[in-house]
Parts: sequence; C-alpha cells; structure tokens
Amino acid sequence: MHIPDSFMPLSQALIYWAIALPFIFMSLRWARRDMDEMKIPILAALSAGIFAIQALNIPIGMGTSGHMVGAALVAIIFGSPFAGVLVLTLVLLVQGIIFADGGITVMGANILNMGVISGSIGYYGFVALRKRNIDIKASAFIGAWLGLFISSIAAAIEMSLAGTFPLVPGIVAMGTFHFVIGIIGEGLITAIAIGAIAKARPDLVDDKAVEASKEVTL
Amino acid sequence: MSNPNMKLLYVVLALAILISILAPFLASSDPDGLESAAEKIIGEERFTELEEAEAAIDSPMPDYSIEGKGKLGEIIAICLGTIGILAISFGLGKIIKA
Repeated sequence: MHIPDSFMPLSQALIYWAIALPFIFMSLRWARRDMDEMKIPILAALSAGIFAIQALNIPIGMGTSGHMVGAALVAIIFGSPFAGVLVLTLVLLVQGIIFADGGITVMGANILNMGVISGSIGYYGFVALRKRNIDIKASAFIGAWLGLFISSIAAAIEMSLAGTFPLVPGIVAMGTFHFVIGIIGEGLITAIAIGAIAKARPDLVDDKAVEASKEVTL
Repeated sequence: MSNPNMKLLYVVLALAILISILAPFLASSDPDGLESAAEKIIGEERFTELEEAEAAIDSPMPDYSIEGKGKLGEIIAICLGTIGILAISFGLGKIIKA
C-alpha cells in the first residue's frame, strides 16, 4: 500500500504531511512519556521485525501480493496507537529514502494510512473486543484485519482525490485485495505474534486499557 | 546489561534476519494491492508511465537491491535495512529518554 510520489500531485501530498505531522509529534511525546530504558529494546525489536516482514510479500491470488503493515501489533503491545505511528514513521522513512519503497513527498499520506489509520483502528478494535471478553488472539486478528482493510479504503479515497483512480472502482479494487491481504498478511501474523508474546511474556501485552474498563464496569 | 527485554530483542532480531535472508527467495513478485489496483483500473500503459516517473530523490538501494549483485545484493540490502532500523529506533529511544 506504499503510495509512490507519481500517484499524487505535490499540493495534495503536502496536505497529508500537514495532517500526519501532529500525529508524528504526538508519537514522539508518547515516547518521551511512556518509554523507559526497559522498553527501548522492545521498540527496536518491533521496528526491525516489521521492516523485515514488510519485505516478505505474500501471494494472495488474483495476480496480487501483499505484506503485513504491523502498526496494530506495535500499538497493542505498547497499549497506545502512537507507538504504531512512531514505528511506522521510522520504517517508512527508511523504506522511502534508502529503498525507494513509497514516495518522499507522499510519505505523509503513507504515514497517515499505515501508521495512524491502520494502527488506531487495529488497536481500538482490539480493545473493544477484549472488553467483551473475546479471546486475545481473536481480538488481535479482527482488529488488525479491520485496520488494514479500512486504511486501504482511505488510500483509495486519497487516490480518487488525487485523480489517479476513479472513486468506486478504486474502492472496489483496493478493498477486495486488502480484504484478503488483511486476513493473511495482517490478521493472522498479528494474532500469532500476540499469542506467542502473551504466552512467553504476559507482562508485555499491555492490557491496561481493558483492565481499567473492567474495573469501572464492576 | 540486566534488562530482560534484551533477550526478546535478540530473539526477534534473529527472526528478522532470517526473514531478511529468505525474503528475496520467498517474497511474491506479483504487484502489491495498490499497484495491482492501479494496473487494472488505469490500464497497464498509464500505470507503467507512473511507475517509471522520476522519483523525488535517488535512493541508494532501490527496490531492496544492489545494482549488479543479484539475490545476494537483495539479501544484503534487506539485512542492512533491518539492522539499520533497529539501530535508529534504539538510538531514538535512548536520545528521547536521555
């Protein structure tokens, strides 16, 4: 879903930078407040893991492939969507500048789609399901899948505003492909990762938001 | 360092390096969701035109490859990216908390 520079006029690309920048600043503020010496290795591990897995495109049929985004996974582990924004911003910067994967002028839109939208929907979806006592892996799967799917619809709308795709065929094509990519690439891998971490290091999966809400309702 | 999370870092790093080495062989070369949508909606010709449009900057390792180095170059490129992003996020964390 990495939009290249040629897919969007500069004037519009700058608007998405203007929207993305406050989220990037808030993610840095989150890091200053919530990160500590203990958590730095986790942030570094997740950044490296997500960069690597984004290089692994999985075939989904229809002559198309896709890969995990990972913002939801990061947000769930750190208990904040801003963690996902921070990691995806770093990953997209390296991908765009060093590897020409995703544009430079259009990077704000990519950070908005993959960092902010997919991570936030993934995280709040996960929390909402956990509050209803849905299994942790199922919650991670559904949240992450929905986050990726919705972010692809956002990208389709942006492509339509940019004049690159017509609106409806764009939403249909992007939605169809990412519905499937979201199941395999995002939902499944996020659920497996969360399940493995919750088992090996239950202290690391930050369920604070869920626990707090349960106490309130009791 | 007695940080127990360093063990997690080593485990995930090992996994990430393994993926980085295998990705050039395992990754599908089919277009991704956005490219595939573009190809189908706006036609191959216009899509190719957009794809080949000049990038805003010259990247040192475009498409996760090193010119003339084939699969080995791809492995090196992705491994460098994986280790680089690890160093950047570790460094950023240290700077923010310093």
